[in-house]
Amino acid sequence: MTVAQAEAAALGASELERALDLEAECTRLLALEEDLFEVSFWAPEMARRARPGEFAQIWTGPDHLRRPFSFSRADPERGTVSFYIGAVGRVTRRLRRLREGEPVRLLGPLGRGFSLPQEPGRSLLLAGGLGAAPFPLLADWLLGRGEAVVWLNGARSPAQLYPPELLPPGLAARSQVTEDGSLGRAARVTEALPAELSQFHRVYACGPNPMLAALWERLSSGSAAGRLEVSIEAPMGCGFGTCLGCAVPLPSEGAGYALCCRQGPVFPAGSLDWERLRRQPAHLE
Amino acid sequence: MSSPPDFDPSVPIGRGLVLRNPVAVASGTFGFGLEAEAMGQIDHLGAIFSKGTTVEPRPGNRPPRIAETSSGMLNSIGLQNPGVELVAREYAPRWADWPVPVLVNVAGASVEEYVRVVSRLDRLPGVAGFELNISCPNIAHGLDFGTEPGAAARCTAAARAATELPLVVKLSPNVTDIAEIGHAVEDAGADAVSAVNTYLGMKISLRRRRPVLPGAGTAGLSGPAIKPMALAAVARLRRVLTIPILGIGGVASAEDALEYLVAGADAVQVGTANFSDPSASRKVLEGCLEFARSQGLGRWSDLRWRGPEEAGTA
Repeated sequence: MTVAQAEAAALGASELERALDLEAECTRLLALEEDLFEVSFWAPEMARRARPGEFAQIWTGPDHLRRPFSFSRADPERGTVSFYIGAVGRVTRRLRRLREGEPVRLLGPLGRGFSLPQEPGRSLLLAGGLGAAPFPLLADWLLGRGEAVVWLNGARSPAQLYPPELLPPGLAARSQVTEDGSLGRAARVTEALPAELSQFHRVYACGPNPMLAALWERLSSGSAAGRLEVSIEAPMGCGFGTCLGCAVPLPSEGAGYALCCRQGPVFPAGSLDWERLRRQPAHLE
Repeated sequence: MSSPPDFDPSVPIGRGLVLRNPVAVASGTFGFGLEAEAMGQIDHLGAIFSKGTTVEPRPGNRPPRIAETSSGMLNSIGLQNPGVELVAREYAPRWADWPVPVLVNVAGASVEEYVRVVSRLDRLPGVAGFELNISCPNIAHGLDFGTEPGAAARCTAAARAATELPLVVKLSPNVTDIAEIGHAVEDAGADAVSAVNTYLGMKISLRRRRPVLPGAGTAGLSGPAIKPMALAAVARLRRVLTIPILGIGGVASAEDALEYLVAGADAVQVGTANFSDPSASRKVLEGCLEFARSQGLGRWSDLRWRGPEEAGTA
């Protein structure tokens, strides 16, 4: 895709009509291991609109740009949306200190999420560390459509693993791997893939860029290549396509860049330039 | 948004183009307007200044392209744009139906390229005017036109000859004396100036012992961090120019906008604030109108500082 084609594809911005910009109160902050937490906000209409893989831009005050977070849950019955976050920077540390009733501004849903099955089949979810963020909501949707869902949960250490007790009920199978081997098999996610990948109709992955690049290296020549969707991150300024900051490299010569915020954050893995992407920072500095 | 009786919120910026209010949005912070239109955020605007447009499509710079700084941000987008042909065929017809004038920001590596972009878009329905970007800090050549008075004048005169539409020239602050450049482009036929484009800046990663952004590591600084410097540039320009000035730099609130009008601007462009808050420009405008009402203004220019009382204190 050339730049011009990408622009032409983006000509219709009608998906942004779904985005809400609202003040939302914190309803719950679930502190997890180390700096990890799940924070929920009262935003009933956003909870109704959010689809798996989409994200919201969170703003805690005028002294910073918004930060993007995938919806980890969206519960229309409770009227809440939730985000699984690591307190690694100035803004995420501020979010970690939120108390019940304190407001932030939410802009969303934004972005293009995971494609969902027309017919029930089997899905494999590959989560690396914080990359588990979009998967609880995705699993909800898949399970609700009768899909058999296998969740492979990986991280460097148990403390960085998405908490097994938070995994949704009804998974066909689940397994944990940690690089240090202190919980589950000592392996990276990419080293612990099920032997029979061909049994999966869909493979969804989210994690650090080097993990996703390694995964693509493993799968690109096999039958699963066309069934792999990845959710990626890029340093993002606005979240809705105007700052052009979140450029993601496309593979062919002269193809230019896609915008993570509008054409992603979920991409077919084969549409990206992994040689360049693996070295690209994921967060705004 | 009602105005006080006898208050005229409109702002003429040349060649018969009258902005219905002084709040516009800055080039590079608003795309070609389609995203904001979908989000219901254009109807209130005085004008839209489009993303910088070049003759050929440009893929833009390699990432990372942005970084956050104290009260500001750095960008090195590298003029990613789809090229003038697509702008002419796809965007301009949409703008023709909008209630807001769209001025196309024009960039190039040579005078000829500026002229080609202007000529292609001139007299197309939907194109209300042009803003010459002679000051992009993130591509080779772009800055040269904005830092040397003779080159700035040549570029302006050539574009002037190619269109009868309003021609605004966006000035670089990365110069010894911005008034000298402003003077040159006014003499060469500019109808107004925008002041200022981004300041050259850099962010360092101490952990990696190198700049955060790639290449030379330099980028354009925008946001509240530059407001005091941009206000000084606007006040300086007001002393020497007779044409309208559009003030840019860290406008995030009505107070910011009104300060620019005091300093000598005729209108403002909201920039970086659009990224954090898509309704920033609407809030700026509402606050300005409320201020005008409460202060009983007749025109915005009632606010303007008349300059230093004594010679030599400027």
